[in-house]
Amino acid sequence: MTGTKAIGAALPRKEDYRFVTGQGRYLDDIVVPGCLHAHFIRSPHAHARIASIDSAAALKAEGVISIVTGRELEEWTTPVRMAPPIEGLQPVEFTTLPIDKVRFIGDPVVCIVATDRYLAEDAAELVTIDYVVLDPVPDLDRALAVDAPLVDESLTSNLVSRQSFTAGDPARCFAEADFIVETSFNQHRQTHAPIETRGCCAIWEQGRRHLTMHIGNQVPHPFRTQLARRMRLTESQVTVACPDIGGAFGQKIALYREELTVAALARHLRRPVRWREDRNENLIAASHAREDIARTRAAVGKDGRILALELEIVEDFGAYCFYPANYLARVVAMILTGPYRISDYAFEMKIVLTNKCGSGPMRAPMAITSWIMDGTIEAIARRLALDPIEVRLTNMLRAADLPYTMPTGLVVEDVTPRETLHAALEAFDIPGFRVRQQNDRARGIYRGAGLCCVVESTTYGSAFYKAAGIPGSGHEAGWVRIEPSGAVNASVGLMASGQGYETTFAQVVAEPLGIDPNDVQIHLGNTDTAPYGMGSRGARGGTAGGSVLLIAAQALRDKVLTIAATLLGLNTSGELRLNASRVERRLGGVWTEAGLSLADVAHVAYLDPLRLPSGMEPGLEAHRAYDPPPMTFSNGTHMCEVSVDVQTGKVTLERYLVVDDCGTVLNPVIVRGQQQGAIAMGISGVLLEEVIYDENGQNRSGSFADYLLATAVEIPPIEVISHHTPNQKTPTGSKGMSEGGVMGAIGAVPSAVNDALAPFGVVADHQPFTPMYIRSLLRGKKDQGARND
Amino acid sequence: MSDSNSIPILLRVNGRTHRLFAEPRRLLSDVLREDCGLTGTHVGCEHGVCGACTILVDGAPARSCLLYAVQAQGNDITTIEAFGAEGKLSPVQQALHEEHGLQCGFCTPGIVVTMEAWLAENADPTEAEIRDALSGNLCRCTGYHNIVAAIAKAARRRREETVK
Repeated sequence: MTGTKAIGAALPRKEDYRFVTGQGRYLDDIVVPGCLHAHFIRSPHAHARIASIDSAAALKAEGVISIVTGRELEEWTTPVRMAPPIEGLQPVEFTTLPIDKVRFIGDPVVCIVATDRYLAEDAAELVTIDYVVLDPVPDLDRALAVDAPLVDESLTSNLVSRQSFTAGDPARCFAEADFIVETSFNQHRQTHAPIETRGCCAIWEQGRRHLTMHIGNQVPHPFRTQLARRMRLTESQVTVACPDIGGAFGQKIALYREELTVAALARHLRRPVRWREDRNENLIAASHAREDIARTRAAVGKDGRILALELEIVEDFGAYCFYPANYLARVVAMILTGPYRISDYAFEMKIVLTNKCGSGPMRAPMAITSWIMDGTIEAIARRLALDPIEVRLTNMLRAADLPYTMPTGLVVEDVTPRETLHAALEAFDIPGFRVRQQNDRARGIYRGAGLCCVVESTTYGSAFYKAAGIPGSGHEAGWVRIEPSGAVNASVGLMASGQGYETTFAQVVAEPLGIDPNDVQIHLGNTDTAPYGMGSRGARGGTAGGSVLLIAAQALRDKVLTIAATLLGLNTSGELRLNASRVERRLGGVWTEAGLSLADVAHVAYLDPLRLPSGMEPGLEAHRAYDPPPMTFSNGTHMCEVSVDVQTGKVTLERYLVVDDCGTVLNPVIVRGQQQGAIAMGISGVLLEEVIYDENGQNRSGSFADYLLATAVEIPPIEVISHHTPNQKTPTGSKGMSEGGVMGAIGAVPSAVNDALAPFGVVADHQPFTPMYIRSLLRGKKDQGARND
Repeated sequence: MSDSNSIPILLRVNGRTHRLFAEPRRLLSDVLREDCGLTGTHVGCEHGVCGACTILVDGAPARSCLLYAVQAQGNDITTIEAFGAEGKLSPVQQALHEEHGLQCGFCTPGIVVTMEAWLAENADPTEAEIRDALSGNLCRCTGYHNIVAAIAKAARRRREETVK
């Protein structure tokens, strides 16, 4: 034990200084002499055969060095093959750039390399590509039609994955139920829209046959594995070096085709090549997310108890699978029951390919989950004329139920859904709100209160991936070194894109070593320095990354104290500790200075090793790996108040609060910031953001004037109330967090809007809740309780 | 870049004169970053919506991605590098740090530049006014809550300093 309490301290961030002064070092800030610039010519058609490509004129243009297509890339790289041994998932394979046909508007077809980005784009005008346009598959209905064209002609249908599952005996429950309640949920297509778009800079050193890839990527080592394999290089021939990342949100995980193309060109040309996509490319061609239609069917007793639940979820996955197609919907289906006690459960998932940009995980890939579950409960309450809060409480897990094995086999433990619900209700003051709601309704102002109970799957252990049929490991790796001067360096396989790891992980390392977190440097993102970990995704950073660094730092502390005991002539280190960078000894129950600093011990460990305990190896470094439990869960209760202008359809967020339990908090300031950011992303998604494709597969949301992100005006102040209880199984006690906010907002805002619209007898179930959509529901409807004057 | 079309350009940035050759079509944002080496100005959308590239032209906020460098000759340009350069953070920079008003940091320079200029003319803003002024800068990480708090704090400090 130490006297220092670094974990949980509300420290300001160490990384801030460089960012607020404009000295952050993002990809484009890296100057590489003689670097060439790549530009991609993209398909203007949703679905077309590539008949011919004529680059002759462009090759003569000023500054142009090389122009390549899928044919050259096919020789230089291997195709991606997504074929995990999963039942109900068709294997897919595709080349680095398309050769025969394009599958969506924005599909990269030709890559031009020039001495300058402007000149590369000029030359693009001179390339002639002849296409034979094919019938597009612009939506789910068309994709699943009997005569639908195939998006991927190597498959037997556009239904790339179909999986089903049953636990218990839902059929019997439905036969015996008092009521059967059916509900549907339409979640629209969205995209991550990090403010820094994708980009990379590849440097090939022919002398040592080595590739250095500068790229902002969340998972440097798995990315390196992919890049090396597809370049036919060994992992020792590739260094992935991540600079500061201007936001990622799940978009910067996969090895994208443009990035592989740039790396292959750097090797082929033996010159450095860089690429920066523009905003239009990012919006139409990077990666999309969500777009699901979900239907639930609940067997319900008279008291509102859910006897059985069925889920059908159909997801539009776009044209290419950069991830196993079942992955995202599978998580939704696995954790759907969340905080509720439901044992008889069945789901069916259909994942469908269309002529749209490929989908991937976006902050809270399972974002729709809580809306589906709590939305189903609200539908039950409407049908049975019960209070929706009471229906939640009737079905909600109690402390005595924990650990609770979900029908899908996941074990929920150390969660507090009832406690956070009660705390949220108290903070929100529902009775006071109802009075205001009634009074304002008489004045034509329609207010609604929304509620959503979230159980967030945070840190996925290897056992979860195995059980869910998703390839991957859940472990994380880290090292801590105390250098000869006593300075402390540490590293972990995660890469940061705004999470503040340099601060929180310094706190974790500092605690067992009894030092100031400011004296710990965290080194991230370079695969030559960092250990092989699974990177930053989901909400695993704090739990998987924090835990492995804590374990490593504890091991080093033990070694330091063992050395100190020897130097002090003691038989044991049992009465020693580290505090304020010095060794302390307990004498008569009182901790007193032992006359030895951490630096003294480090000096001996490295530079005077003959004084070490017999047989101990010199140096002070620890390298550990940690595989978390199969799944850790956080929970929270979200509440909000909206007003709906029934004349214009505009929804305004008036208030938002969350009561959150994410276990031991490493830094409360950062955790609160993550909650607020996640909730804002959820609100922005519900109200504003939408990737829009027309009936021809044309993308009509290719700028920030069309794809609307919430500004400071649309996002209300977000109150975060802490109700943290530790996880008993993770070394730090943390549970992980950062995606539950999206889940909660996606559920709480519809709950509030439907409360506001209740007098009109309509239910909003198609996101986004644009003014046009809200008006379409209200057209011809009247407040059924209003007086007819 | 294309040397044949380049012309001499004289820019005054953060009180220093930069003499360079660039094509007339080169964006001010690109020239500031690549020719002047001032990489604190970030490019997020290149169509004037996100605000990451905001600079001051004669003291007024402007999108450097919507200007050509040639257009900025004869104007005084101020970039993020002018703020906190003396080792002391500006009020907005300091408050953003204290209030955790940034995460990935990519949008931050544009926010610092915009809000420092705005506070100079709006000493005692309400929260609603701050949100309105901030609405030209997109942030995908923070949800704006802490940025708004930081601007309010910076405004308070500026007023206190003026009183002294």
